[in-house]
Amino acid sequence: MIWRLAAATLLRRRARTALTVAGVAVAAAMLLDMVMLGSGMRESFRGFVEQQGFQLRLTPRGTMPFDSEATVGGAARLADSLRAAPDIVAVAPLLGTKLFTPRAGDDSVVAGFLLGLDPATQGDYVVVEGRDLAADDELVVNANWLAATGRRIGDTVRVAQGYEPQVRRFRGARTLRVVGRARFVMLAGGERAAAVPLATAQAMGGETTRDRVSVLLVATRPGADVEAVRARIEAGEPRVSALSTAAALKFVDERLSYFRQLAFILASVSLAVGFLLVSTLVTVSVNERIGEIAVMRAIGVARGRIVAQVMGEGLVLSLAGAGLGLGLGLVTAHWLNGILAAFPGLPAAFDFFRFEPSAALRALGLLVLCGLAAGAWPAWRAATLPIARTLREEAVA
Amino acid sequence: MPLALLAAVLPGPPVCAQAAPVVPRTVTIDERLAAAAALAVGDRVLLAPEAGGPGDTVTIAAITRRGADPSEVARSEYRVRLHLDHLQRLAGTGDRVGRFAVASAPGVAPESVAAAIDAAAFGFRAYPAAAVAIETSATFRVVNRFHRAIGIITIVASAIFLLCITLLKVDERRRDVGALRLLGLSRATVVRAVVLEAALVSLVGSAMGAGLGWAASALVNWHYQGVYATPLRFAIVTPGIVAFAVTLSLGLGLVSGWVAAQRLVRRAPLELVGR
Repeated sequence: MIWRLAAATLLRRRARTALTVAGVAVAAAMLLDMVMLGSGMRESFRGFVEQQGFQLRLTPRGTMPFDSEATVGGAARLADSLRAAPDIVAVAPLLGTKLFTPRAGDDSVVAGFLLGLDPATQGDYVVVEGRDLAADDELVVNANWLAATGRRIGDTVRVAQGYEPQVRRFRGARTLRVVGRARFVMLAGGERAAAVPLATAQAMGGETTRDRVSVLLVATRPGADVEAVRARIEAGEPRVSALSTAAALKFVDERLSYFRQLAFILASVSLAVGFLLVSTLVTVSVNERIGEIAVMRAIGVARGRIVAQVMGEGLVLSLAGAGLGLGLGLVTAHWLNGILAAFPGLPAAFDFFRFEPSAALRALGLLVLCGLAAGAWPAWRAATLPIARTLREEAVA
Repeated sequence: MPLALLAAVLPGPPVCAQAAPVVPRTVTIDERLAAAAALAVGDRVLLAPEAGGPGDTVTIAAITRRGADPSEVARSEYRVRLHLDHLQRLAGTGDRVGRFAVASAPGVAPESVAAAIDAAAFGFRAYPAAAVAIETSATFRVVNRFHRAIGIITIVASAIFLLCITLLKVDERRRDVGALRLLGLSRATVVRAVVLEAALVSLVGSAMGAGLGWAASALVNWHYQGVYATPLRFAIVTPGIVAFAVTLSLGLGLVSGWVAAQRLVRRAPLELVGR
């Protein structure tokens, strides 16, 4: 009965009810988007980091992975000493350098990124066509590299680690065979990338990269105290900084803090807008029906039922708006994610907006609660109005 | 290699390094590094290409403030400036540079200078400063597009909110309007009155919004200039933006007022007074 009355009241003024639901839907969509934005970046990055399967990243002291061209020397000895530690089960050394490749069919040179790694322990790429590296003279590349160089899997190519355009001279050149196409997990969209065995990459760089690496990825034994392992490594090897997954996430949080703060502000504004819309409509609706409510009270309808009916109106508006907002929010999140996908330096598959059902439900639940609260004041007013005076005033009116 | 150098700046007492000059060379560091490492002008530090490796003892000659460069905002790296020959020797790069900055004569278009250099010097690529600025501010261009998209959603939400409020206000006074209509007030007068009221509300609202926007931009600038240690202004309220906001708000107000008024004048006066 209460719900039927609430619905009848809302349907009596269809245009403004529809507008209020539309307004709440936009507010709900914005709220959902901002919740997705607030948690999406962190969870997306966590997915990348955990997909690699390593808990620690060792970089030259004071740097972030591949944030600079700095490298660590004595890499083989360092990796061996790490492998000997009881809590460490795998060590994956990486060397990042430039890669220059003559384009097939003309004399232009394509610049890209070369990753030297151990194919047995790497977690940086997933082979999607062809096969993985099996010999020192083999190369795995991504689709962007293939498109830019005009090469195909199976081709033998001359690549170099350095290039002097003035005299068109390559440095550290090697002839390698393209054996596979891979998706590089952590690389930005549009980046041309290739991977070779670590020894090949180190040899291509000559003396400047001999026995040197940019990053060492470390996997710890299940159940091991990662923070303790990290502290031991930093204490024992002053040339490196050890970065845990938690610290990496904190670093990303700091770099992208602007988006989290924006998400918080806009989500708060969305909640306020939803509250104001529902509150205004229900208040006006109660004012219009003040005589009707007085009559209901006069014939014995309990205060509780009046309160429930008025708050029910707010609840129906919020629920309808939140339902519509869920669909609208997913569409706008896709649109906004497309815009932010062009953000420079982030992995191509990085999602700014990630749909987490529990977070979405919590956000929309909060909006519905706001709608319910928005009906509280007019409901209290309706339930406590002086019956006789209201009936007399309404009769005179 | 220069980036490796930045990461390898270690505070400490003078250290005799390999081939260290008798009089230490001077460097400048930025405010961020000075604050993080508690360094001051006159301090001596060891500058090395690799942490723990050999390097030069240098004297900090000055502490610099970062320029308002969008490309540097999100980067939390420290910045040390050395004399070119000093860096070349320390990094072992010989007589090499990363780039040349060229100042053109007054009145000469940078594009024509860049084209002349490209045509004359094989192996070089010259870019006008404006082109470099566009390339390095890619982050901000993406953020700008994102802000525009958020702005569109906000405008849609505002339009619905305004229309809803106007309808409610007009509905609330339908009995008064019905009585006025019965007294002889024309439909056109009712429409004009409602539209005028909506326009006034929009104007007052947009004036308050402009003030709020100015205060919010001041707060945003204060906060992010502190966070990123940069003089860059993140939010600017220009006369053009205010004019756009007021015009848009007025337009929305006029449309919502007209729609609400049409709903009112379509009904008969007796119906409006509830008969």
